[in-house]
Amino acid sequence: MSELGRVKQWNTFARCWHLFDATWQNPLECAPTIEKYLKGFHKPIYHPFVDCGDHVVVMNSKQIAFPGEEWRRRVYFHHTGYSRGASWTPAWILHDRDPTMIFKKAVYHHMKGNLFRRVVMERLHIFSDSNVPEEIMENITNQIRPLRPRPKPLESYSKKEIEEFPKIIDYPNDYVLSKN
Amino acid sequence: MLTLRTINRILKVVKTNQRCEQSFHRWLAPTLRELKRRKDALGPEKPVHRKTYIEWNYDTELYAFSKRLGEEFNNNLLQQALTERSYIVSEEEKQKSVGIDQPLLDLADNSKLVTKGSNFIDDIVNRYLHTVLPRLPEEGIIEIQKYLTSTETLSHISFHIGTSELILCADFPVEKLTLANVLKSITAALVESSGNGRATAFVRDFILTQIADKDLHQFWKPEEPIKLLSDILARDNVQSPEPRLIGCSGKNTLLACFRVGLYTPHNKQMIGLGFGETVDIAHEMAARDGLRQLFGLSDTILLPFNIELENLCASNTKNLSVNEWSQMKLSPQSKHLEFYQTKIISSN
Repeated sequence: MSELGRVKQWNTFARCWHLFDATWQNPLECAPTIEKYLKGFHKPIYHPFVDCGDHVVVMNSKQIAFPGEEWRRRVYFHHTGYSRGASWTPAWILHDRDPTMIFKKAVYHHMKGNLFRRVVMERLHIFSDSNVPEEIMENITNQIRPLRPRPKPLESYSKKEIEEFPKIIDYPNDYVLSKN
Repeated sequence: MLTLRTINRILKVVKTNQRCEQSFHRWLAPTLRELKRRKDALGPEKPVHRKTYIEWNYDTELYAFSKRLGEEFNNNLLQQALTERSYIVSEEEKQKSVGIDQPLLDLADNSKLVTKGSNFIDDIVNRYLHTVLPRLPEEGIIEIQKYLTSTETLSHISFHIGTSELILCADFPVEKLTLANVLKSITAALVESSGNGRATAFVRDFILTQIADKDLHQFWKPEEPIKLLSDILARDNVQSPEPRLIGCSGKNTLLACFRVGLYTPHNKQMIGLGFGETVDIAHEMAARDGLRQLFGLSDTILLPFNIELENLCASNTKNLSVNEWSQMKLSPQSKHLEFYQTKIISSN
């Protein structure tokens, strides 16, 4: 192979690093998107036998959102292998123990089970907050667009902005709007 | 009283007992095994020339050979082109060993045709390369020509048009040098039989097309491309290009990839793009890319193999050497030819 051919191939198969902010995102919805980048479905050179997937760094996995009663109803099963070793953990307890686990399991269970699955999972880096190590941040070249808009909580508005917001009615003086 | 069915059964048993019939021959496998063992003990078979077969007809094969190529050959010339000196010598020795003191062989060898054909091929290849690559420095042209006229390439072509069994020579299997020589002599025979035009088309179709699927950059690699590029630009009164890192991925990993662009300082135009595993390699590749753009040897080049053969330039045409190459010194004729090339490519 000529020198040009070598660097061309190097450039074609270079692994990119993508950043994904999981704040207010449903991990079950995110899994297909994350899988696309992890396996390289978005590349024209994609083929099941070609190892062309990218790295994905997920941050703020503590801030994920589940719809409805999902935190209480969703239960994660584990079996130790011994008799009476089965355990069922509700999502909210699991999230308390390890804030990265629910996101990881969502992506893992979404992918088809084969010998490549654990290799692909090695390229997924999940961080519970926004403190991503500098060494990893330097690799990142792309940000994956969040799937849902991030709602702005009332606390983030300043007092002036709240006062200036157009009012439809005037509340009575003794009406309690919020405890704060 | 026995029923009919019982009688039949008894008869069947009696019959099989008598004949001991089996569904396969017990002698077959051991025999085959023994034959295989003996064959293996003899070692691999030596390749045999086709002429040792009983229905070999050399004249017919010669006729079919010229028809396969689609050319009109003078039969005597073609026969001469395919006859090596070594064959005549060995035949004479054979006759002497039989007892003939003055062997008479009505055969001429191809040594004259080889020289003539070699010169002809060199000339056409040289003219073609100068015509279609007018911007490439002379050093590059020489390297590509060396590749095209090497024994390796010519013997490959010669073997695949089927000369290896038609050649009359002492050695078998035929050596590469012999194969290459025969291709040269066939070209010379064609020049004498059908004229220059047909022979030129023959060289174009069989020899020049060998570079069609090759990476042209592998033949000639200028050393120190960064320095060379800035030298060339300096001759055109352009300051030396400024390298910029225009992209990198996975910077802290083993699979890091960097892209470097070279920009001219005065009008901020990108003149070369390179990539590689380190910034230095990417910079060097960018300089090589810049040189390729200047020399008209870009990665997606389509050589016009269907160029009309009257339009080939003269034999004494020389491209600029690397040490004096500059955009301003390029002859206007080469630019005209370049336009001609693009016209031909776009019209196809």
